[in-house]
Amino acid sequence: MNGHCNGNVIDVMERMKSSMVLCKHETSRKESEDKSRLPALEAAYTSILRELGEDTDRQGLLRTPLRAAKAMQFLTKGYHETIDDILNNAIFDEDHDEMVIVKDIDVFSLCEHHLVPFFGKVHIGYIPNKKVVGLSKLARIVEIFSRRLQVQERLTKQIAMGISEALQPKGVAVVIEASHMCMVMRGVQKMNSRTVTSTMLGVYLDDPKTREEFLTLSQS
Amino acid sequence: MEFHYATEMNGNVPMVPRLTKCVQSKQVNLFKEEKDTKESEVLTKTSCIEKAYCTILSELGENTEREGLLRTPLRAAKAMQFFTKGYKETIQDILNDAIFNEDHDEVVVVRDIDFFSLCEHHLVPFFGKCHIAYLPNKKVVGLSKLARVVEIFSRRLQVQERLTKQIASAIQEALEPAGVAVVMEAAHMCMVMRGVQKMNAKTITSVMLGRFQTDSRSREEFLSLTLGK
Repeated sequence: MNGHCNGNVIDVMERMKSSMVLCKHETSRKESEDKSRLPALEAAYTSILRELGEDTDRQGLLRTPLRAAKAMQFLTKGYHETIDDILNNAIFDEDHDEMVIVKDIDVFSLCEHHLVPFFGKVHIGYIPNKKVVGLSKLARIVEIFSRRLQVQERLTKQIAMGISEALQPKGVAVVIEASHMCMVMRGVQKMNSRTVTSTMLGVYLDDPKTREEFLTLSQS
Repeated sequence: MEFHYATEMNGNVPMVPRLTKCVQSKQVNLFKEEKDTKESEVLTKTSCIEKAYCTILSELGENTEREGLLRTPLRAAKAMQFFTKGYKETIQDILNDAIFNEDHDEVVVVRDIDFFSLCEHHLVPFFGKCHIAYLPNKKVVGLSKLARVVEIFSRRLQVQERLTKQIASAIQEALEPAGVAVVMEAAHMCMVMRGVQKMNAKTITSVMLGRFQTDSRSREEFLSLTLGK
C-alpha cells in the first residue's frame, strides 16, 4: 500500500476503524481529568531527570517536572477532542463543486515510537458535494489528530477520513511532508531528510488528472 | 583507570568502555568487574526511565498494549539517554590530543555546525546552527573537535545562553587562544509547538572572549563571515 485506500470511502472507513485510535464520539482522555493526572506525570519526570544523572534541586530544574508534564499534556491534547466538537456546525450548503485547497498548514506531532517531535506541512484538498466547511476547520482537524502519539502514515489517513466522514465530499486529498527528529537528532542523524505521505480518496484516487491538479497547486 | 563510553555511532550505544591505557593481566579482572558494574548500572537506569515512560503513556490516556506502543518506553528511555549523553563526556576525552603547534594567528571560523539540545524547562528539543571562531595563539585544534565540543555541551538539558558560554569557555581553556567567539541561532520547540506558538521565531545568543570582546573589528569580521551569506 502506498498510503492510498483502495475501494470507496465507506468500505475503507469500516476497515480503518480498527486501526484508528479513537472513533467519532469518544475521547480517551477527558480534559477535566488532566489536572488530577499531573502529580503522577510529575513524579515520572522527576524520576527520569534523576536517572539521567541530573540534579533535580538545581534552580533550572526545580519546576521542570511540572512544566514537562503540562507540555506533554498539551502536545497530546488531541485525545480530548472529537471531530464533532470542533466542526461546530461550520458546514454550509454551497453550490460549489470545484477543488478547494488549504495548503502549508503547519503540523506538529509526536512520534509514538520515541516520543520525539516530528513536524512539517500539511496540504489538504477536497471537492465539495454541495457542502463546504469553514476553512479553519480543516486546520483544526489536523490539530486533533496531530496532537497525539502518531505515525505519519496514520496521521495522514486519519485527517483524510475525518474530512470524508464530516463532509461526504466527492474526493479528499491529504499530503504531509515532515521532518522527524527521531532520525535527525538521533539514530541515523540525517539532517535534511523529509518524509512525505499522502492519502487520496474518491475522485482524487480514481482520476489522475484531478490528483495531478491538486499536487501541482499544493506544491507551487 | 578511567572508563569512557564510546561515542555514539548511528544510534547504537555500545556498552563497551574504551580503555585509555594498557593494563597488566592482573588488573584485567578488576577492570572486567568494574565494567560489569557500570554496565549493570546503566541498564538499571534505563529500566527505571522505561518504567517512568510507561506511567507517562498511561497517564496521557494511551493504550500501552497497542502494537505501536509496546516497546516505546524502552525506545524513549534510550532516546533520552542519547540526548543527554553529553554528561558522560569530557573535553579531554574528545580533544584526543588533536592540538597542534602552528604559526597561524589569523581567525579560524567553523560555521553552520548543526546542533540539537533539550530545553531544561520543558524537556522539548531546541536546535539550530552554531558558529565558532578563534584566534590561535601558536596552537590550533583539529577542526572536527570544535564540533565535538558543541556535541558534548548540547547533548544535555540546557538553556541556550549557558550552552553558548560553556562552548566558548571550553575552547578558551583548552587552547588558550587570543580570542574565542561563539554564536548560536536556534528554534525552540517549546515556543513553536506549544505556549506562544510562534513558528518562525529564532533565538540568537553569542559569547565573545579575548580579542573578540575587546576589538570591534575582529568581532565584525567574525560576524560578517558567519551571519553574512
